[in-house]
Amino acid sequence: MPESRFVYVTYIRTTPENLWKALTDPEFMKQYWFGCHCESEWTPGSPWKLVSPDNKLFDAGEIIESNPPKRLVIRWTNQFKPELKAEGESRCTMELEPIGPAVKLSISHTIGREPSKFIDAVSGGWPKILSNLKSLLETGSIALLEAYPRS
Amino acid sequence: MAESRFVYVTFIRTTPEKLWWALTDPEFTRKYWVESWQECEWKLGASWKLRVPIGDVAEGKVLEIDPPRRLVLSCRASEVFPEAHLEGYTRITYELEQQKESVKLTFIQEIDTPDSKAIGMASQGWPLVLSSLKSLLETGEPLAETRRFEGHG
Repeated sequence: MPESRFVYVTYIRTTPENLWKALTDPEFMKQYWFGCHCESEWTPGSPWKLVSPDNKLFDAGEIIESNPPKRLVIRWTNQFKPELKAEGESRCTMELEPIGPAVKLSISHTIGREPSKFIDAVSGGWPKILSNLKSLLETGSIALLEAYPRS
Repeated sequence: MAESRFVYVTFIRTTPEKLWWALTDPEFTRKYWVESWQECEWKLGASWKLRVPIGDVAEGKVLEIDPPRRLVLSCRASEVFPEAHLEGYTRITYELEQQKESVKLTFIQEIDTPDSKAIGMASQGWPLVLSSLKSLLETGEPLAETRRFEGHG
């Protein structure tokens, strides 16, 4: 089976409960996700969507697994860019594991094709979002105000 | 393109000059890099060693250096890591790019060997070390897990 995969691991000084909330609370999410937020009931089978600051539908799908505050799996299809939407469903798995006074957050985003423009796109996005999330939880403010800043 | 490759990108609220110093200063690296420090003159062709309190863990040379933007090292694990040692030299690239109030740090370690043990070790270890570096620069405190060297493997 062909597959493209993006994997990212970060360690954040927080609790699994706080990190879970940060990953699922729409108002908190807007602070580190460049104004975007997700909408979902975060239970298995419930619909999920990622919405831009001006309310455009960026991505949509459903929750496959939800085991707070440990593991979340989302079926995730781009809705905004035709060439990414054409690649179909991806799967995003988030795992939270306490490591001393911090949490190891592992994100694995996969799609059943190789190469994949969708995985290229999320490979650029996740490090920015997760760097912001870590800064926000540890310091109260983010690292990057804009998704595509000029130097 | 290399057969085995680990890539990690992180955005740190700091300056390129401060980040360059944080990546190379022996006293500073000990705080976030499980007590490791590097011995190097930081000039082209200089030899490079990565040390921990119990001995050397890797060695190589400076292949490119352009402070505070780009550093390329050859890096071979010591005999402490027999499988990675046998694979020979990997190549490590650090790139630092100012992005407004932060710096984009791109870290790459690669080798022309498929399913490399050295790159497998890198992908296990670097996310913790670079997360701790970001915490230390942004909060003044590294992550507790990176304060002590606790053997290998």
